[in-house]
Amino acid sequence: MMQALQDSLVATAQGLPVTLAIWIAAVLLGMAGGFVVGALRFFSPWPLALPLSVAVEAVRGTPFLVQCFLLYFGGPFIGIDLAPLTAGLLALSVYGAAYFSEVFRAGFMAVPPGQLEVARMLGLSRFQAVLRIMLPVMALGVLPSLANLCVILIKETAVLSIITVPELTFRVQGVGTATFAFAETMLVLALVYWALAELTAWGARAAERRIERALAA
Amino acid sequence: MSPILQLRGLQRRVGSTEILRGIDLDVMPGEVIGVIGPSGSGKSSLLRCIAGLDEIAGGSVQVEGRATQPGDGAIGMVFQQFNLWPHLSARDNVSLALRLVRKMPAAAAAEKAEAALAQVGLGALAARKPAALSGGQQQRVAIARSLAMEPRVLLFDEPTAALDPELTTEVLDVIRNLAASGTTMLVVSHEMGFVAGLAHRVVFLDHGQMVQTGTPQVIFSEAAEPRIRSFLQTYLSRVAWVQG
Repeated sequence: MMQALQDSLVATAQGLPVTLAIWIAAVLLGMAGGFVVGALRFFSPWPLALPLSVAVEAVRGTPFLVQCFLLYFGGPFIGIDLAPLTAGLLALSVYGAAYFSEVFRAGFMAVPPGQLEVARMLGLSRFQAVLRIMLPVMALGVLPSLANLCVILIKETAVLSIITVPELTFRVQGVGTATFAFAETMLVLALVYWALAELTAWGARAAERRIERALAA
Repeated sequence: MSPILQLRGLQRRVGSTEILRGIDLDVMPGEVIGVIGPSGSGKSSLLRCIAGLDEIAGGSVQVEGRATQPGDGAIGMVFQQFNLWPHLSARDNVSLALRLVRKMPAAAAAEKAEAALAQVGLGALAARKPAALSGGQQQRVAIARSLAMEPRVLLFDEPTAALDPELTTEVLDVIRNLAASGTTMLVVSHEMGFVAGLAHRVVFLDHGQMVQTGTPQVIFSEAAEPRIRSFLQTYLSRVAWVQG
């Protein structure tokens, strides 16, 4: 058993950088894409908003595992032949973008209309009102939800093991398969993810407190 | 002297519901008009139509003989819900439009904002964010924000309705000072004593119609119109019950 634990730690050290890299990249890409989609859905006329909302619903309505399979194994049938890492990053970014877009859209909707009416009365242009009032007010409102999604995405990286992305779960699972110490290796895995999630949540709370302090000044 | 604000046959409709049914009103420079009436009588709609925030179905709104639109600086409006921008300090709430719309340099805009805040008694709190201000202080910042743009006419839509009773006084005092300094304004309020003491003229609205307009004395003491009597009686009996 000690050997299995030791091997798990080595596998963790190998897989962790890949997990972190995919996670950070997917968070950045997903947030950027989600912001664009959320803004388009909020500001655009329905002919543009409708297809986007169908796409978001499709991603939100299907399991991430199935999406990974479809992209990685189904992709080659329509000429999309991606390496596991690329496919994994793409899948996670699209998945994240769908959820991020909903957070941003809700954020836009939550900006009190009265705050924008004042901007209009005072003569701000629509663009100025969006840039100077709507975006900052929205950003404050969506921060907790964004942090929550980041924590969810770090756990979803585990699913990428299924399409052989050499991340944390894939590496540690390999140790389990080799040593038959499935329970021990999975326990190590659970603890590492938990630690990552706690760290993220802690960072998010610190950021929130900073913003709250800045607002209450 | 010609009126600064002129309403002619002002109508507003939402679907098939008539919200305002042809309002005519001339407001002279420096005049303070109190607008009273039951809930749903169209008081807020009247102000929003004057401000250009709600679309009118007929008639006209003119300030100094010209049609207005939101943002042209003719009209300022103070809302029930303050609507301060939470990410900006009191000073920046007031100075933002001075910088972006009036194109004032930042330093000059900040100076003017501080003068406006001083005018409402908040000179010392200019650096505070809205969350660090009381409701009454927030509403005073909102008033300063409108004042700084020097509108020709200032509209108050139930400025104290969202405030605790002990915080209304400071806001009413600010509005009183503005009235005394000759600011032209329309005030929608349920503070009858305040309206009676402040307004040069009171407009009583019911079902989107101007039932009667006259001096506070006329409306509050002498009006024979049954709708006004019954409205005032309801109001007075509520106050009497609170006062025990």
